[in-house]
Amino acid sequence: MLTKSQAKAFFIIGTAAFSAIFVGLTIDTFQRIPSQTKSQNLTEEVIRGKHLFDTKNCMGCHTIMGEGAYYAPELTKVFERRGEAFIKAMLRDPEAMYPGQRKMTNYQFTEQEIDDLTAFLIWIGEMDLNGFPPKPDLVKVASPGAVGDTSASDTVVKNENRPQVFNQMCVACHALNGQGGNVGPALDGIGSRRDIHYLQKWLKDPMSIKANSTMPKLPLSEDEVTELSAYLSSLKGE
Amino acid sequence: MKYQSQKIAYWFFAVCMLLFSLQLVYGFIMGFAHMGLDVLHQWIPFNVARAVHTNLLVMWLLSGFMGAAYYIIPEEADREILSVKWAYVQLIAFVLVGVTAIIGFHFQWWEGRKFLEIPRPLDYLVVVDVLLFIGLIGGTIWKGKRYTTTSLVLFFGLLTAALLYLPGMIPTDHQTHDSYWRWWVVHLWVEGVWELIMGAILSFLLIKLTGVDREVIEKWLYIIVGFTFLSGILGTGHHYYYIGTPKYWLIIGGVFGALEPIAFLGMAIYAIAMAKKGGRNPDNKVAMLWTIGCAVMSFVGAGFLGFAHTLPQVNMYTHGTLVTAMHGHLAFWGAYACLVLGIITYAMPHLTGRKLQDSNSNIFAFWVSNIGMVAMTVAFGVAGIAQVYLERKVGLDFLIVQKEIEVHFLGLVLAAALFTMGILAFVWNFIRFGKPQGKMGA
Repeated sequence: MLTKSQAKAFFIIGTAAFSAIFVGLTIDTFQRIPSQTKSQNLTEEVIRGKHLFDTKNCMGCHTIMGEGAYYAPELTKVFERRGEAFIKAMLRDPEAMYPGQRKMTNYQFTEQEIDDLTAFLIWIGEMDLNGFPPKPDLVKVASPGAVGDTSASDTVVKNENRPQVFNQMCVACHALNGQGGNVGPALDGIGSRRDIHYLQKWLKDPMSIKANSTMPKLPLSEDEVTELSAYLSSLKGE
Repeated sequence: MKYQSQKIAYWFFAVCMLLFSLQLVYGFIMGFAHMGLDVLHQWIPFNVARAVHTNLLVMWLLSGFMGAAYYIIPEEADREILSVKWAYVQLIAFVLVGVTAIIGFHFQWWEGRKFLEIPRPLDYLVVVDVLLFIGLIGGTIWKGKRYTTTSLVLFFGLLTAALLYLPGMIPTDHQTHDSYWRWWVVHLWVEGVWELIMGAILSFLLIKLTGVDREVIEKWLYIIVGFTFLSGILGTGHHYYYIGTPKYWLIIGGVFGALEPIAFLGMAIYAIAMAKKGGRNPDNKVAMLWTIGCAVMSFVGAGFLGFAHTLPQVNMYTHGTLVTAMHGHLAFWGAYACLVLGIITYAMPHLTGRKLQDSNSNIFAFWVSNIGMVAMTVAFGVAGIAQVYLERKVGLDFLIVQKEIEVHFLGLVLAAALFTMGILAFVWNFIRFGKPQGKMGA
């Protein structure tokens, strides 16, 4: 059996050896990080965004690269999932975007700060994170189909014709074919219930039709309104 | 109590009781928020509650470690603490920095880096305060009549914990670098050098409570802390899977992360074997309960539940979900909270001269808090696994999943209420002990 001095030697030599290996790997890792994380895209804007991300303690509710708290959505791929317009609208007035839902503090960001934070989230989304976050694989689900989404298209069903803005913005609150949010009503068969002119007017400003609507006025371009209303009116009931 | 200066420990333990109680309040705020009852959102939003909850934990555990050191080192080194006056200065400074940080969080004065939210100016004060503490403890050992393995391991653990605070202060604009260094602090603390502190305090308790020969206990102490570093240092790699670091960390972190439970298993076997070996009937049964409880629960929480999601194939899906909260709660409770409560239970009768250690309220505290914490772990586990499946495997929207699992947070809050009853009983018993007496028989 080991003596006490042998046990001590085991502790000291083992600790020293593994510390040395760890330091070596750390040096190697730091040489590889720039290419893996596209450090060349770490602009002044992104750095200001990261600073904001830290000073507002966004990690106190959200996760980013899977790290943080578990109270609010993962933000690593939020640009791919929701797009720039949604992110910016959310940062301007969080409670308007998810009425009556779990609350996010309104930090009264300036437009400059909103641009910085968005730039930071875009940079994070570009990183090679060894496959994280995983793609859902138990059911065939709608892919966001957004910029930079190079995922295999076998997960994309019945949504080839969906406008990108639908997949990024509308599904945050509304479901179609059982997929999407449940903050607002499901949109299946909406084309049978509302005509295209109503939909256009609604999308431009929901409150012009229904004064007490909780749906926010979304930052949609004229083209997007036309595209969306045409798509929505094509969704006929069975 | 052999030395008058050991009394300093009492005040560190009193700080523990206060901060721990406060930590529970903020835990409830978050539990209710997860159930949809976020009535305090305007004043204490979730990110404030979260920062306060975790930082209070770190503070009261550190306060407990410091108190334990002030209690253990005089007995091990056979002399009084170098300077009682400076020890009190160190205590007061520690509390002031801590309280300032906690209040500051409510006004968004923080760094927003998970577990290391304390703002930079206060970081420097923490460093100064800890240097003073290390100086007092190190000086006492240096000038002491004997150098024991227990005191050296304890000192080495405290010193390296202080040094490892520094990587967290390296300035960087890069999210990956930021995260990389943050884990040097957080991981190398809780799965590295804190285990030295844990091993040393357990060793002290076992020597005192079982009467087994010091040489035998301390030999095993070396082997266990040896295993800790053998697995724990490279085990840091299990935090480097998905943060923009090279793929080889998947293998290194996977293999060494999977070996980490060995040290905790060793700790559990060690404590139980020594307790069986000791012929002496301990006159402090509850301290013995906490000692064994610490060793066993740390294996379950840190070892087993940590192993459950350390492999990269599993962690890919559980990373960043409530599964982490499940592991985190039982791990910290078993390894470090039980440890501090154990040394408090052991020290209090010696510090105050009152023999209330085996009172009904203390026995109640041990069992009810442990049962409550296991129930909380189960609630987190069920919520976490449901979240992983619905969100990561089925692809449901985040908020829909959160509504689906709200009911498990009702379970969590009920379990937490049970846990809180246990802790309140412990605090009540602590208060009943009263303050340390002026003149103590040696």
